Amino acid sequence: MQQFFKTFKVAFQAINKNRSRSLLTVLGIIIGVAAVIMTISAGEGATLEVQKQISGLGTNLLMIYTKTEHRAGAHVRMGKPVNKKDFDMLQHNAVWISKLSPLIVDVAQAIGPNGYKSIAIYGVSDQYFDILSRDLASGEFFKEEEVTTAGKVCVIGKTLKDELFSDLDPIGRQIRIDKIPFTVIGLLKEEGKGAMGQDQDDIILAPYTTIQNRLHGHRRGYDIIMASAINEDHIIDAEIEATELMRESHKILEGEEDDFEITTQIELQEITGNVTGILTILLGAIASISLIVGGIGIMNIMLVSVTERTREIGTRLAIGARESDILTQFLIEAIVLSLAGGVLGVVLGIAGNQIIYKLTNFFIPTALYSILIGFGFAALVGIAFGYFPARKAAKLNPIDALRYE
Amino acid sequence: MTAKKVIETKNLSRVFKNGDIEVYALTNVNISIEEGEFVAIMGASGSGKSTLLNILGCLDKPTSGDYYLDGIHVNKLNKNELAAVRNQKIGFIFQSYNLLSRTSAIENVELPLIYNRTGKFTNPKKLAEKALEQVGLKSRIYHKTNELSGGEQQRVAIARALVNDPALILSDEATGNLDSKTSIDVADLFVKLNNEGKTILMITHEHDIAQFAKRIIYLRDGSVLTDELIKNRSTKESALKELALTT
Repeated sequence: MQQFFKTFKVAFQAINKNRSRSLLTVLGIIIGVAAVIMTISAGEGATLEVQKQISGLGTNLLMIYTKTEHRAGAHVRMGKPVNKKDFDMLQHNAVWISKLSPLIVDVAQAIGPNGYKSIAIYGVSDQYFDILSRDLASGEFFKEEEVTTAGKVCVIGKTLKDELFSDLDPIGRQIRIDKIPFTVIGLLKEEGKGAMGQDQDDIILAPYTTIQNRLHGHRRGYDIIMASAINEDHIIDAEIEATELMRESHKILEGEEDDFEITTQIELQEITGNVTGILTILLGAIASISLIVGGIGIMNIMLVSVTERTREIGTRLAIGARESDILTQFLIEAIVLSLAGGVLGVVLGIAGNQIIYKLTNFFIPTALYSILIGFGFAALVGIAFGYFPARKAAKLNPIDALRYE
Repeated sequence: MTAKKVIETKNLSRVFKNGDIEVYALTNVNISIEEGEFVAIMGASGSGKSTLLNILGCLDKPTSGDYYLDGIHVNKLNKNELAAVRNQKIGFIFQSYNLLSRTSAIENVELPLIYNRTGKFTNPKKLAEKALEQVGLKSRIYHKTNELSGGEQQRVAIARALVNDPALILSDEATGNLDSKTSIDVADLFVKLNNEGKTILMITHEHDIAQFAKRIIYLRDGSVLTDELIKNRSTKESALKELALTT
């Protein structure tokens, strides 16, 4: 052990003697480790962001819709669309579900005083706002009464408001949606980009009854029934219950498959978690390549160093160093170099994350495990790529090494 | 009373195989050197000087014959034991000094102690200082090797060979890279160390330097040609006088 410390000192002296070269050697490792930390952290940051968006959809969310299948590259509906009968069945019988809203999506032309636009119009009930926990910037949501009477009112998002009204206050003003006048009663609070990158503020919300009955003639079914479980702990109960009620409503016999699907928020989080997780691994793997390149750099310099110091090695062997002493010395040199590179890389990585945060406002949490991976990998690279040159040094014949010119 | 034998070789031979051809570098060399001796080994290139030095220095093993160093039968030792013998019994001095570059004199001198596993030397710094003082470099202790002259560098190397208090100091053409005047200084230093009781074996092809030794062995074609005591040993004064005459 004492011998190890002495050897450690010797290795350290050697590094110190070649300071600039040592620094250049570790540069590869520094960049590699920083790259690993930054890419993994960026992946984590993206995951976090997506998860935040999903939970922003409203906690306890359930979505019930007709089963679709991929056929010849297109989504094909496999059952009859979810409809009022299903909606009433859920509304009257479900105990684990507290709020329900149909969702009908249509595309229409909206014309305002200062502009017009083709836009997605969402037909929903008054409970939709609670289900998705969306807030208003000004005005109010439409009420149950306006849903039952198919009132020509709507709530719009900020992006659309800007296009149709510019700086005008939209509340109380009229817009024409496919030639039918609607009164704007509410302006949604800005939400930004959604989990899938869509603009959540480029939207019109109107009573679904209005869309069904006034906009495009008569539409029977709904695209989705949105529901909210009574609380987060009972999402699964709500899902099971909704499944049973939907089967009853669709008269599906025991043993037959469902012709609808239910997606909960938990599942959404899992799916996106998987996607971003794969992304993180992929990015990390790419970054690791730079670490390996850095390791080869260390091996390269160590090999040069062994050749350059052949005489020194011969002298050390002649005055009583064992092969193992030489091996340890060069191995320690390589490991110290790569660990130093690891430390500097960690610092650079964290600093890089901060800089990105400052510049883009995209918060990147520096994942602890990314530091461990980066650092551990650096140490591994040091051992793996340091061993070969170290062994070469240790196996030198002292007689030849002493006379090496 | 017979003095302790530091070196004893019995029918030492070293054969190098080059394909099917066997080259005899040494054949039946019998040398015996006692404690306190100062021996010069001379011989033309190819006479086996270097091979002999490698074996005596425990860097190489004989093909046949026996070698005893300070009573240890070296033939039977493994690599690590040989390293330990080199570390504890031998002080090496090389033609091109072989010091660590950009390293202070004292760190260079401490080097053999780093590899000593006996725990005998508890204060390497003090020992290194003492050795540097012995070679007259007390004022240069913290100078880096590249800041020293050739003669000074060789003195550092000699201090390094002294620091572990070896049974034998082996010098391989120690004056080969030095000018005549400095060579005489180094040879004189050997005499001084020998007078302090060190056993010294030096290989040289410089006749005037060999004359500083007490005994001279000539090798030819891998065998001992002559082995005799020197009657008129050179001293620093006589050598300098001679140097003045020839230039």
